[in-house]
Amino acid sequence: MSQRSEVYRTSLLGLLSPAIVLSVWETAGSLGWINPILLPRPSQIVWSLVELVANGAVFPPLLYTVALFAVGYAIASILGVTIGVAMATSEILYGLLEPLVEILRPIPKSALVPVLFLFLGIGKTTMITVVVLAAVFPVLISTFQGVRGLDPVLLETARTFQASRMRTIFSIVLPASLPMILAGMRVALGLGLVLVILAEMLAGEDGIGFRILDLQRAFQIRDMFAWIFVLIALGGGLMMLFDLVERRLVPWRGKT
Amino acid sequence: MSERLGFDHVTKIFETSGSEAGFVAFDDVTLEASPSEFLAIVGPSGCGKSTLLKMAAGLMPPTKGQVLLDGKPVFDPPPGVIYLFQQYAKSLFAWRTVIDNVMFPLEGAPRSQRGELRDKCRDYLKQVGLVGFEDSYPWQLSGGMQQRVAIARALAADPQVLLLDEPFSAVDALTRMELQSLVLQLWERRKFTAILVTHDVEEAIFLADRVAVLGAKPTVLKEIIEVGLPRPRDQLTTREDPRFLKLRHHLTSLLLTRNAGHVATV
Repeated sequence: MSQRSEVYRTSLLGLLSPAIVLSVWETAGSLGWINPILLPRPSQIVWSLVELVANGAVFPPLLYTVALFAVGYAIASILGVTIGVAMATSEILYGLLEPLVEILRPIPKSALVPVLFLFLGIGKTTMITVVVLAAVFPVLISTFQGVRGLDPVLLETARTFQASRMRTIFSIVLPASLPMILAGMRVALGLGLVLVILAEMLAGEDGIGFRILDLQRAFQIRDMFAWIFVLIALGGGLMMLFDLVERRLVPWRGKT
Repeated sequence: MSERLGFDHVTKIFETSGSEAGFVAFDDVTLEASPSEFLAIVGPSGCGKSTLLKMAAGLMPPTKGQVLLDGKPVFDPPPGVIYLFQQYAKSLFAWRTVIDNVMFPLEGAPRSQRGELRDKCRDYLKQVGLVGFEDSYPWQLSGGMQQRVAIARALAADPQVLLLDEPFSAVDALTRMELQSLVLQLWERRKFTAILVTHDVEEAIFLADRVAVLGAKPTVLKEIIEVGLPRPRDQLTTREDPRFLKLRHHLTSLLLTRNAGHVATV
């Protein structure tokens, strides 16, 4: 079987299970097996979704959430990589920071939202801080492990070619650790998204999470589910984007 | 006799946990290479010859004694000394194309010179026989080709001393012969000092001016032999030369008697 047709087959198979789930859901709904107030049929949800998109109401909260998430994620990634590299290359920094990391890391970041809300109030700063706190640790730890786990031959190669410390870090350590760093960033992506939605529900003033909670309280279930579908699409879309970027950045993955 | 690189009573002891004495990699080795000489070091596996070379490269310090480059002791990798790794695949940068790998030693230069330096790298790749592969990635190349990239990259650094650590042990016999001839060509053209570590006696005789033989357990310098075969060397005629065969006999018997318990079956 050619590579092309294998890819098609995998994509088709991938579409099969959600299609089955949706069909079962739809059928069960139309047969009256499900309480339509609590769980509308997919067709009804999609209709609400289409309305949302058509009158443009989907964009402000979507953009709000994406913007907050993006800023938090970017800060977390830069912080995580920088601290990870620093800890992996300096015994002093490692000694100083490691206890702090080990204390903060296991705390479920969702538990910190009320605390941050207390200190920073409702609003964008709290949202972004939550995302940063959640996303920084996976990135930091994978970066650290990636750098620590580098083949010594690479570092000796740097030395024999008289590469300075800076050049070694930027030209060799970072590119060589990129697969591990990206693995951490992928985890951070999912985690950050969960946390931003949660934070919006608990202490937000707009955004997808805020909308979902708001609509649930107003008992507008169909619209609530429409927003959940938006969220699913957002999550899926971000993941696919990440995969694409990863494949471009790390073409040697799985080879050598 | 002026000396380019020398080992002066060099001893290396690796500390092992639990044992007081430590593992003696080699003991009191004194050896030197003259400028533009091709020196080979042979010994059985595990006798510490790679460690010796790493010390020459400044990658590892000796426990006792010192390594001297032009009379000055070596502590960190000195400029002009390039170490070619046995695991070339791991030393190449997988995220860079072939030409960018070769450019690495030259990237300290100002931007304005980049263009002509890149052309120089293309020329090095031509010298090692890799024309047309400039934009390939290392993982797209065979083992022999990867080793050529590593050699081109070493050349780009304009080495005064090239240290080769069993560079051809991981390729097939034919590729090995091609690479051997390549290294000889480059050495004759560039006139750097070459120190090659190998377990292959024939390779040592074929390439070198002198061969140093290391024993094992403990590893000491057993003997240094003048090869004395005419240059340029040829894979076919040199290897059939009666002097080559005599040297091969002598060196092999030296190495075989090291492993008294192992009988060589032919």
